Amino acid sequence: MNMAWKEIKKSKMRFAILGSIIFLVSFLTFIISGLANGLSQDNAALIKDLPKGHFYMNADANETYNLSKIDASVQNTILTEHPDAAALSIQMGFLNDAEDKQHSVAFVTSTDSNLFENVAPGEIVLDKTLEDDGLKVGDILTNNQFKGEFKVTAFVDQKKYSHAPVAFINMDNYKEIYGVKNMQLIFIPGQDQPQAINGLDSFSNKDFLNTIASYSAEQLSLNMIIWFLVAISGMLFAIFFYMMNVQKIGLYGILKAIGVKTSALFRMMWSQMIFITAIALILSIALSQGFNMIAPKGMPFSLTLATTIELSIIFVIIGFIGATLSGIQIKKVEPLQAIQQGEM
Amino acid sequence: MTTFTIDGVKKSFTNGEVEEQVLNGINLSLQEGEITALVGASGSGKSTLLTIAAGLQRASGGQVIFEGKDMTDMSQEDIRKVRASKFGFIFQSSHLVPFLTVSEQLMLMLDVSEIKMSKHEQKEEVFKILKLVGMDHRKDAYPASLSGGEKQRVAIARAIIHKPKILFADEPTASLDSKRSKDVMKLIRDLTNTLNITTLIVTHDEEMLPYADHIITMKDGLII
Repeated sequence: MNMAWKEIKKSKMRFAILGSIIFLVSFLTFIISGLANGLSQDNAALIKDLPKGHFYMNADANETYNLSKIDASVQNTILTEHPDAAALSIQMGFLNDAEDKQHSVAFVTSTDSNLFENVAPGEIVLDKTLEDDGLKVGDILTNNQFKGEFKVTAFVDQKKYSHAPVAFINMDNYKEIYGVKNMQLIFIPGQDQPQAINGLDSFSNKDFLNTIASYSAEQLSLNMIIWFLVAISGMLFAIFFYMMNVQKIGLYGILKAIGVKTSALFRMMWSQMIFITAIALILSIALSQGFNMIAPKGMPFSLTLATTIELSIIFVIIGFIGATLSGIQIKKVEPLQAIQQGEM
Repeated sequence: MTTFTIDGVKKSFTNGEVEEQVLNGINLSLQEGEITALVGASGSGKSTLLTIAAGLQRASGGQVIFEGKDMTDMSQEDIRKVRASKFGFIFQSSHLVPFLTVSEQLMLMLDVSEIKMSKHEQKEEVFKILKLVGMDHRKDAYPASLSGGEKQRVAIARAIIHKPKILFADEPTASLDSKRSKDVMKLIRDLTNTLNITTLIVTHDEEMLPYADHIITMKDGLII
């Protein structure tokens, strides 16, 4: 007999309250997770969307790519050895449009590579968010440190760095703007293990992101919020199932007295937990995915189905542990004690 | 025929540093198809004796022999199996499962006792027993909508549906008025005869004693 389902049917309100709390906590976790991912994309999509590989910067740059200057001969040796690698530089800056309106951008330049946009001198390729700001292909843009003009030739999706849209420019133009001769970084794709290069430090994509102070601080805070929510939801599970079990001590005792196995009582509790959690998670997944689609364009929000499923599995595991810990009472219940307590 | 023997059963509880002796060596035999009533003042040890006999708590000494086996030597799991398949319980309160209908309460007992029956056979058996206790018309009702007497009738039906060898009843009429008490006792009497069950009942209500075959009086943990 499916006692678990029969109890849910008879005590709809009690289970609805429990389900709604799981729904609210999981929904909040999904939304925060979406914002964290969104901010992460907004901060470093340029780096995150690169294939797996390793970044190299000067050992004396103190893990700060802005201070890194890779020697031209070292760069040439590496690029000859790894034709798919690229030397690149990133700097924050401004562009002025025809109406003299200033646009904050991250200038990116690189050697010829299919990892980054290859741009001819005087041309510029921009992130799509600038198109939403009103810029169009063919527009002419200027920069105070650049004598010439940039002509917008294309827009690309999801190229953001440090919460600013990326502007791909030619290396000569970059050198003119920033008065530099060397590139800051070299990226070699497809390396499982870093290569030891004299005078250079290596960083995996993830390690490189962590050298960006704003990125690691932001992600640390958001991830802490997410894991706090996950931990809180685990505690909520345990507390709610504990309270429900306390109310049912008499019932469990009588069921034990008439011969119901303790394992059957645990199965009853687990199946109720799985049922309530599944309904709550399906609802919050649907709503958060819906929100993902209708989130305002300016809001950095990115929630993949994979992340939602991953978090949902964690919720189910935590719910299971919480419910099981609270269910230890079931094991302790003495039938005699329940009988002596009188009517349930 | 003797189906159940209690031999020199003792029970003591420790309260702080004081050991309180509740049962002082009880000897008792229960006969098939008969009702044995345990009577005595409050604290005489009658309920303790019944719960030890029913495997709901362990004796401190002595033996409880059922079907040739000493239950005091059995594991908790073996005692549970005996309780599920061979014993029936009626408590002072009906202790029905609040979220199951009358017929589901009985179906649950059939499941617990692991009697091999098809769903159709289970339903027929449930209906037969509910008819026997006069509750067939309330088979779809939940406990909350039943009167005290009706609940106790359902509790009796639950206690006998799996055809137990022994029926343990602890003050089964305590929560009922005089008329309903007599109805319930008459029902237990009839079922004991019809199904050839061995019944051990604890009561303090003298009006119930005419329904018993044997009356055992207890005082200070001893049979007098």
